[in-house]
Amino acid sequence: MRSIFRVAWLSSVRQPGRTGLGILGVVAVGALLFDMLLLSRGLVLSFRDLLDRIGFDVRVLATDATPLTGPPLERATATAAAIAALPEVEAVLPIRVRDAELAADRTARLQFIGADPQAKPMWTLVDGRDLVDARATDAPLLVNRNLAASARLSIGSTLLLRGVCGEDRDATPPVTFLVTGIAEFPFDDRSATTAAGRLGDLRRLCGDRDEDRADMLLVRSSPRAGSDAAAERIRALLPELHTVTNDEIVLRFSHVEFSYFEQISFVLATVTLFFGFLLITVLLTVSVNQRLGEIAALRAIGLSRLRVMVGVLCESVLVVGAGGVLAIPVGGVLSLWLDGILRALPGIPLSVSFFVFEPHTLVTYAWLLAVAAMGAAIYPMRIVGALPIAATLRREVVS
Amino acid sequence: MRTLCLKLVPLVAFLIAVGCTLAVQAAPDDAPSLLISRQLATTRQLRIGDLVRLSRDPAAARGRLFRVDGIYEPTPDPMRFAQQRFEARLHLPDLLALSGDGSPGDGADTIDAINVALADPRGAARFARDLSGRVPGAIAQAIDTPDARTSTFVVIERFHFAIAIVSVTGSAVFLLALMVMLVDERRETVGILRLIGFAEHRILLQVVVEGAIITIAGAVFGLLFAVMTESAFNRFFEWRYDTPLVFVRITAGVAAQSMLLALPLGIAASLIASWTFLRRGLMALVRR
Repeated sequence: MRSIFRVAWLSSVRQPGRTGLGILGVVAVGALLFDMLLLSRGLVLSFRDLLDRIGFDVRVLATDATPLTGPPLERATATAAAIAALPEVEAVLPIRVRDAELAADRTARLQFIGADPQAKPMWTLVDGRDLVDARATDAPLLVNRNLAASARLSIGSTLLLRGVCGEDRDATPPVTFLVTGIAEFPFDDRSATTAAGRLGDLRRLCGDRDEDRADMLLVRSSPRAGSDAAAERIRALLPELHTVTNDEIVLRFSHVEFSYFEQISFVLATVTLFFGFLLITVLLTVSVNQRLGEIAALRAIGLSRLRVMVGVLCESVLVVGAGGVLAIPVGGVLSLWLDGILRALPGIPLSVSFFVFEPHTLVTYAWLLAVAAMGAAIYPMRIVGALPIAATLRREVVS
Repeated sequence: MRTLCLKLVPLVAFLIAVGCTLAVQAAPDDAPSLLISRQLATTRQLRIGDLVRLSRDPAAARGRLFRVDGIYEPTPDPMRFAQQRFEARLHLPDLLALSGDGSPGDGADTIDAINVALADPRGAARFARDLSGRVPGAIAQAIDTPDARTSTFVVIERFHFAIAIVSVTGSAVFLLALMVMLVDERRETVGILRLIGFAEHRILLQVVVEGAIITIAGAVFGLLFAVMTESAFNRFFEWRYDTPLVFVRITAGVAAQSMLLALPLGIAASLIASWTFLRRGLMALVRR
């Protein structure tokens, strides 16, 4: 086998220009194929990672509408307490999200997240103090970097906000908040202006002092029970509410919202693979046709049909293998460029990537290229296998 | 006709049904009418004349009965093509009555937007500016103002263009390899032509013309293949997402762009391949 590979290697390096172009073509095709494989599950994996990083694995909503688009949960405090009492549950965080505007500039809108300060937050504190560490008399506020920059805020600044919560917003008095920290919010896109405060302060902001609603309850299951068991218990306890685990959200999004990229990557990967197959088939076929006399001579001096056929296959494997390996770093760089383009989509959280590497991708990539290399070698192998030795040699001598 | 969107008072409103509770009921004939989307009708097996109860409350409290008067196909929305369109259209007073609970400030006098049709649509931008200045708190926009929707498609277009660049690069390499081999295959013929007196530029021209013919044939075949598969692509995606949206459209501009890219690339590949070849000595060409 080593000698067959050596002959294939020598045949390839004898025409470095042609082999180089073949490899270059495979690099271009392979890089695109590799990127399409990264794209096919990238958004789902990235979104899954984002949900997991928030630290809550079950969500409880009023209906099965997409979070923050459906009606809110009523009697949120009692519901949260009932869920928190379950042995499968470690923590519950009620969340209410409303719009607000700067009292000084009504065109400057922001998203205000109201949360229970005692529970583990869903954001990452970058600087300053979290809500839980603030004095009870203050109305503490965490802001993201965009808001801090646009409103020129720093820790210790005060900010006058007005809630945009209904038709009474002009009648709702503005509320003064004290900026206690800068935070990163998991679902912020590159232009988002977001702030977080206490649930009670959000009610004041919207003039709903007696309101006891939440847009959703974020639930962290106990490690021993797991998210599925916790969700089952919550469904049994509160069947009128909609309870979903992170797995179910990811599944839903992968089937609906994110499916476009899955489809487009499938189509492009198929086209790319076919293109690579065509490229190698043509290169090998022309190469073999040019060496028919040489191959007939090798057959005449005793090389078996199988051996010359395997030699052609080895040439295909060498070109595809070399191109395929070189395509991985090229594809990596290319994916960064393409990812940069796609992440400019509005509403895409900053921490989400469209191209995500997982070891499984490399295995699939290697399999697809191997199939392409073998498929591309079939026709030239057939030419070599069916070569009439005497007639070919005679034709060579006459020509 | 151009319209303006103003977030204040509405003419017609529609309700996203997933945000409401919907239940089929038997009830009197004086129930107000509503229209439902085809997807909602299919999923919930609703027919014209059915009575449904709509409520903002998940437990269906304070619900109101409506009669299904029609089933409509929602206007295709590229921003929401992957989502099922569970929608209902109500008369505005019915919607306002449904969204309020009768208490002060219950939202029963709140609307999301006003669509305005101007007598002279060309003045939309100016009208929007004037209105924004006169009604503090209101946001008026001409409908052709760039927003998140347009920027989404700009980004998607940019992504597809980037993919096209990579594909064209791969194709160019493929073409170059092919032309190198084609020219190489005729090394001896070219040598003999040189020996009998054909000038270099004559042979070069012949190779370039041949390359151009191959390129044109390839590009035309590619276009025909794209046109033939266009409807298959569209049918697949229309079936997959249950939408009448068109995903692939081969326009004259796209065809011209493809030809304009393919021709120079093909001719350049022929030139490079034959030029490197003709630089060799005459004896090397005829293997002497």
